[in-house]
Amino acid sequence: MQASRARLFKEYKEVQREKSADPDIQLICDDSNIFKWTALIKGPSETPYEGGVFQLAFAIPEQYPLLPPQVRFLTKIFHPNVHFKTGEICLDILKNAWSPAWTLQSVCRAIIALMAHPEADSPLNCDSGNLLRSGDIRGYRSMARMYTRLAAMPKKG
Amino acid sequence: MESEEDMHDANDWESVGEDLYSDYGEEGSEVYVEEGDDFFCNSNFDDSKDVMVVREKPFTVLSEDDIRQRQEEDISKTVAILSISKAEAFILLRHFKWDENRVNDEWFANEVAVRRAIGLLENRVEIPKLMELSIDHLTCGICFETYPPNMMSAAACGHRFCGACWQGYIGTSISNGPGCLTLRCPDPSCSAAILQDMINFLATDEDKEKYARFYFRSYVEDGRKIKWCPAPGCDFAVEYYKGSANYDVSCSCSFSFCWNCTEEAHRPVDCSTVAKWILKNSAESENMNWILANSKPCPKCKRPIEKNQGCMHMTCTPPCKFEFCWLCLGVWSEHGERTGGFYACNRYESAKKEGVYDEAERRREMAKNCLERYTHYYERWASNQTSRQKAFADLQSMRNEKIAKLREIIKEEESQLSFVIDAWSQIVECRRVLKWTYAYGYYLPDHELARKHFFEYLQGEAESGLERLHQCAEKELQVFFDALPDSPPTKEFCAFKTKLAGLTAVTRTYFENLVQALENGLEDVSSASQVAGSSTSKSQSTKGKAGKNKAAKLAVPQISPDDYWACDRCTFNNHPSAKRCEMCSHHQ
Ligand SMILES: [Zn+2]
Ligand SMILES: [Zn+2]
Ligand SMILES: [Zn+2]
Ligand SMILES: [Zn+2]
Ligand SMILES: [Zn+2]
Ligand SMILES: [Zn+2]
Ligand SMILES: [Zn+2]
Repeated sequence: MQASRARLFKEYKEVQREKSADPDIQLICDDSNIFKWTALIKGPSETPYEGGVFQLAFAIPEQYPLLPPQVRFLTKIFHPNVHFKTGEICLDILKNAWSPAWTLQSVCRAIIALMAHPEADSPLNCDSGNLLRSGDIRGYRSMARMYTRLAAMPKKG
Repeated sequence: MESEEDMHDANDWESVGEDLYSDYGEEGSEVYVEEGDDFFCNSNFDDSKDVMVVREKPFTVLSEDDIRQRQEEDISKTVAILSISKAEAFILLRHFKWDENRVNDEWFANEVAVRRAIGLLENRVEIPKLMELSIDHLTCGICFETYPPNMMSAAACGHRFCGACWQGYIGTSISNGPGCLTLRCPDPSCSAAILQDMINFLATDEDKEKYARFYFRSYVEDGRKIKWCPAPGCDFAVEYYKGSANYDVSCSCSFSFCWNCTEEAHRPVDCSTVAKWILKNSAESENMNWILANSKPCPKCKRPIEKNQGCMHMTCTPPCKFEFCWLCLGVWSEHGERTGGFYACNRYESAKKEGVYDEAERRREMAKNCLERYTHYYERWASNQTSRQKAFADLQSMRNEKIAKLREIIKEEESQLSFVIDAWSQIVECRRVLKWTYAYGYYLPDHELARKHFFEYLQGEAESGLERLHQCAEKELQVFFDALPDSPPTKEFCAFKTKLAGLTAVTRTYFENLVQALENGLEDVSSASQVAGSSTSKSQSTKGKAGKNKAAKLAVPQISPDDYWACDRCTFNNHPSAKRCEMCSHHQ
């Protein structure tokens, strides 16, 4: 508990200090609870998520960083490795490939990479996975694009 | 009375060329002792060579010390051949499932690839070299605190972390199970293996112990040759040598299991059938609860009767004293040989047709046909399971106390009483086989009528033979315990001994042949059932690739009664091939 608090505090200071280090990621610590974070990440360019801003929620266990944080999308996203209803993410580094040397920042980077390189073979979203596996790239892109517009982009008046 | 009838059965085997167990004889029981020579005439001894020869066991039981010793030896050999450390040899052997030959082949074929796959670096990144750069503080990659370099540790790769973080990292991994044996450096870009010396240097004492336990267990669990005995609380393991005909092994704790699937020994049924059956039982178990109830109403007076003895012959408590069969609740006397039929309780189809007893009617209302069919097999499977457990408990109490009591009453040497233990051991084994024949029967296709009928015939014979042995070992033996100690019933006991030993031998042979016949899928059913059905045909059909008809052998005696020799010392009738008495080891 003490170790995880100390470590999160260091990550917090680092985030404050290097605010502009990665313009695609904005990490925000909950005012009252250092074990609750959110992040805003920009959809990577040349993907159907481009132009969208996606919100992630982090729930951090007391054994962090020995155990990985639990991360899910708060913003609706159409992606084979993200559960369409719950926002749960299937990503190896959040499970068995976790290393305590990872940080919240590097987790965000890994999620952005996952958005650009979906893994159709371990789908949490079967519709999306099936489109990709059947080679219907256009179908997948247009669905993903539609949800990016609907959920991740500011509404134009 | 019933014991007298049984003596007929035991005695009349010569008349039953076609039918090992049924009894059509009329002689009184007194002749039984004189005719002892005929006793074994139709226990099918053409196969008994296998029984006599001490078979080379295809397995070895290993204690923890044995396993530890073998693991040490394997590691030392690899250390010597590849010139690597013990901890490295462990990682390497574990990776290749403790197959030394494969380790050597792969290593000498492509050492670089093997090293990369398991995270063994060729050269250690030397920390002193970094010291020369006069760095006085380093940041730990886990807690992000800074420490002087000497307070940090690294694996061969040189990625340094502080002691507290290492301890947490290793502890988390160990608490997740044996995966800690392939632990890698915490740096995400690095795959250097964390070896046992490192664990012992950095982990808590408790974690070191747990790690050592996983390290030891890996030799069994990751290897291909050894498996733990599945009996609860048993620490033995069994090494199995491939290429044996069946997977049945028995552990030093006395538990027998199938080495292949680690379920309880299940010959003559194969592993996949057992898996299906077990799954089926768990899926249906909620419906089965009402069947599992250990009591049934007496078919006559309707009072609940609990099954307390191992055999299926039930007697209601006084004053009713109604004798009935536990399985079908039918009158026991109708089960006997007098009615001309064999023990009929395996006959699901006929039981269904008759539909005479209450329970069948109740069942018909309660369940659809398929469940009913399953119920039939399951209930008999479970009954034999329970009987087997009871028989096993009886065997234990026989060994531990009753034999001593019997010695006092009969005034015999303990070695002279070993036939009682043999009988009970045989009952336990037969209950096991019989139990699995019900799973076998359940999966026999309904449309293969000839096979099904022949199967039920063989099973019925097995059942009544075992029932007879069980009854003899249970109820007839009891008579001697009730005898007064001052008048030892020596003569009666002698007769009893011959009978029980004979029943044991015959039943053993029958069941061994039954297992083989079922394992062969009852091939040559038609010719075999011809033999079984006709009392005139004693010739053996020799169709099929094996050149022998196992099924027919079940019923046809191959050795004439004259070939047996009676022991001078104990009068036991021995098989012609035996040089010493099978009972008392006296020379012929
Ligand atoms: Zn540290
Ligand atoms: Zn490393
Ligand atoms: Zn055991
Ligand atoms: Zn098996
Ligand atoms: Zn009664
Ligand atoms: Zn019955
Ligand atoms: Zn003898």
